[in-house]
Amino acid sequence: MTEFEQALDDGRLASRLAARVVTLAALAGRFKIYLVFLLIAAGFAITSPVFLTPTNWLNIGRNTALVSIVAVGMTFVIISGEIDLSVASVLALSGMTGAMAMAQFDNQWYWGVAAALATGAICGLLNGLLTTRLAVPSFLITIGTMSSVRGVAMLVTGTVAVPIISDPYNLVFGGGYVAVLPVPIVWTVIVVVLGILGMHYLSFGRKVYATGGNANAARYSGINTGTIKTLAFLISGLCASLAGIVLCATTQAARPDFASGMELDVLAAVILGGTSLFGGKGTILGSILGSLMIGVLNNGLTLLGVNSSAQQVAKGIIIIAAVSLAREGGFRLVRRK
Amino acid sequence: MVEFEADLPADANALDADRLTASKASSDVSPRSAGCVLALHNVTKTFGEVRALRGVDFELLEGEVHALLGQNGAGKSTLVKIMSGVHQPDGGSLEVHGEPVSFFRSPAEARRAGLAVVYQELSLVPSLSVSANIFLNREPSAMGVVREGEILQLTRRLLERYDFPLDPKALVGTLPFARRQMVEIIKALAGNVRVLILDEPTSALMKGEEEVLFDAISRVTRRGVGVIYVTHRLREVFRLSQRITVLRDGQGVGTFSTSAMNMKSLVSAIVGGASVVGGKATSASDDEREQRLPEPVARVEASDAGGKEGAPYLELRGITNDKLHDIDLKVAPGEIVGLAGLLGAGSTEILETIFGLRRISRGEVRVKGKRVRSRRPADAIHMGAGLVPDDRAVNGLVMAHSIDSNVALPSLGLFTRLGWYLRRSAISRTRRAMSDLSIKAPGPATTVGSLSGGNQQKVVFAKWREPRPELLLLNEPTAGVDVMAREEIYATIRDTAQAGTAVLIASSDFEELMRLCDRFLFVVDGRIVHSATHSEVGTEERLNSLVHQQRDQLWEGAQA
Repeated sequence: MTEFEQALDDGRLASRLAARVVTLAALAGRFKIYLVFLLIAAGFAITSPVFLTPTNWLNIGRNTALVSIVAVGMTFVIISGEIDLSVASVLALSGMTGAMAMAQFDNQWYWGVAAALATGAICGLLNGLLTTRLAVPSFLITIGTMSSVRGVAMLVTGTVAVPIISDPYNLVFGGGYVAVLPVPIVWTVIVVVLGILGMHYLSFGRKVYATGGNANAARYSGINTGTIKTLAFLISGLCASLAGIVLCATTQAARPDFASGMELDVLAAVILGGTSLFGGKGTILGSILGSLMIGVLNNGLTLLGVNSSAQQVAKGIIIIAAVSLAREGGFRLVRRK
Repeated sequence: MVEFEADLPADANALDADRLTASKASSDVSPRSAGCVLALHNVTKTFGEVRALRGVDFELLEGEVHALLGQNGAGKSTLVKIMSGVHQPDGGSLEVHGEPVSFFRSPAEARRAGLAVVYQELSLVPSLSVSANIFLNREPSAMGVVREGEILQLTRRLLERYDFPLDPKALVGTLPFARRQMVEIIKALAGNVRVLILDEPTSALMKGEEEVLFDAISRVTRRGVGVIYVTHRLREVFRLSQRITVLRDGQGVGTFSTSAMNMKSLVSAIVGGASVVGGKATSASDDEREQRLPEPVARVEASDAGGKEGAPYLELRGITNDKLHDIDLKVAPGEIVGLAGLLGAGSTEILETIFGLRRISRGEVRVKGKRVRSRRPADAIHMGAGLVPDDRAVNGLVMAHSIDSNVALPSLGLFTRLGWYLRRSAISRTRRAMSDLSIKAPGPATTVGSLSGGNQQKVVFAKWREPRPELLLLNEPTAGVDVMAREEIYATIRDTAQAGTAVLIASSDFEELMRLCDRFLFVVDGRIVHSATHSEVGTEERLNSLVHQQRDQLWEGAQA
């Protein structure tokens, strides 16, 4: 190797190192929020002897499963530059159609699953097509579908609950265990893995990022941004319907008022996880960590004996503090303009 | 904080243009500082590991236009941002009218002291009118109620004063870019401004509109305002400025009197020795660079006049839509064809229509003689077309994403196996494109938004490199790009054409068209009204007059 080539190589190495340092610094910034939560968790661990036990952590996992599953779908939608406020309603309607399908067809679990997933897919497609075809912001479209879909869930049963008698359904999606893991956690893990694959390893994910990052640039690069957004909504609908199945199987019944208001918890989880509401930025794993952080908070405050009203107040304050910590402007060391 | 003007009333009456001059005339500039409005000494600034400024001096005299030049990354932006309070320097001193003062801590503070900046990125509210934008947050009001009539009157007076052809009631969002910039400038002028900083004001302007800008600048300087003019267009520097300060690698190369410089000496001051230019050793040999650098007028003449009579790659026949009328056009492989026209003439629309971004209501598109229907960009890309759009921040790049993400976008299919994204091969291709185009960045993972304008534009070009497109559509390919990067981009365009790509360029920079194109099509009101070869046109001046002539003819014809 000549001296010149050596110098060239050194230069490259140096620039690569510099890039690495920048990434590390950015990671430290991103992780600041997690460090703060570790501190909070440490506080819980010190004050409550139960907090660190495996049983308690399985509890946290089970309690956050629904939000986590829905958050995976929501992350796709938000990274694509849209928002889906109808998820909780879609969850309820899917659970309901699943339960009704089984009641209709001999309590066969697969009819329940098929009906629920189909409902989620249809609602997702509807959200996507309305948003992209009417060119109305999804914020408004999904406020509308949030209301209508919930209304349909109530209409179809006259607002009464529908019991689920299929044991395989209740076991596989609600009450069963795989080794020591409750199935809701197993489903969460499956959805998260699929979500990570789709978002971070498939070309589809690149298109979602580009669409949310700059829809024009994506379009000028030959990406059909309308299709991508519609698919993101479809994924969100499917995730919501799976969560609906899990919730109904756990309670062995479907009720039209299930999960009302949950869309806000899901949004909080996604945003806490570092996904930008403006689109083009975020990770699936972040959303799950966000969901877990909220779960830990709820769990810890309960263990401390804080009553549920005070819990709500504390949760809100902590979420605001955490998001403001995580926001980009709060961290600037190496950015150069 | 020392203010340029001792009495600076906070109310909107201070914005009254008449009073502005009056107060200027009576302002007692102390004799020892006469002349020098702003002086910076030995300014240093580091960002992390990067030493952006290493002891720069800069002085601005009353009433002068002082050009601030340098390649991307030389430190111009940093210096401007330090002057205007956006950044705080690590060291150095600031004098205002000869009085040592501390550096401005915020843009607002600089503004109060009479220093206004017009940035490349405009800061206007599109949904508000021209007058509402100018008086944004300083509306004259009575008991909280905004006095619309007074705003209109003040705006009219301001516009008249500077002879800006703007309707104060027009919504800013409906104005073309050049007009918006005028609003931005007039907004900056609507205060007790003693120092006006213009950051690449002409990068998006057309020939005729530049004149209005230059005229306005001279009106401003006649009142004693010092203008700092940041640009990459060296011709303007000779046209406008009295003095020039050149920065290179964060250091001042020197301050020159414009009359003592010529194009050649200026370019070499900016670029330094030819060997320095490419940054760290890239594979291209230095000799090659030297040849195309300092006075790069040599155009490949060989292919002029009918050398490319072969079958056209692209042919448009009678293409008509909401913006275009009966467009006939042919581009052969290896040929570079220029669309010459004024802003809004339709050149952009022609490129966008070919690329499937606009509907075609009548006419046909033929590729290699075969009729094609491209309804969307994906179809156009599939048939081998690539488009470098006019506004890279809006249409070209995802600014918050990495270089490799951006480069891979149009050819995601190439990096996909069974849906799986092959990031490694995308990155290695990006590395190759980065070294081919000498994109200066720490690595493929660098965020595009953190690059300089020239490097960003090269990233847009890198999107259309591999596989080599059959048809390259370029819209303002070097807008807001420095001299060095411009030459590199020109070389890239020529190389691509030589390799057999048909190239169609729309540009408002006639020098650029003359240097690149074999043939010109003149576009007026969505029609192609004339065509001429490079040798028929001959000079840039003639191209310019031909464009205006064609337009005038068409308009007269329409009236008759």
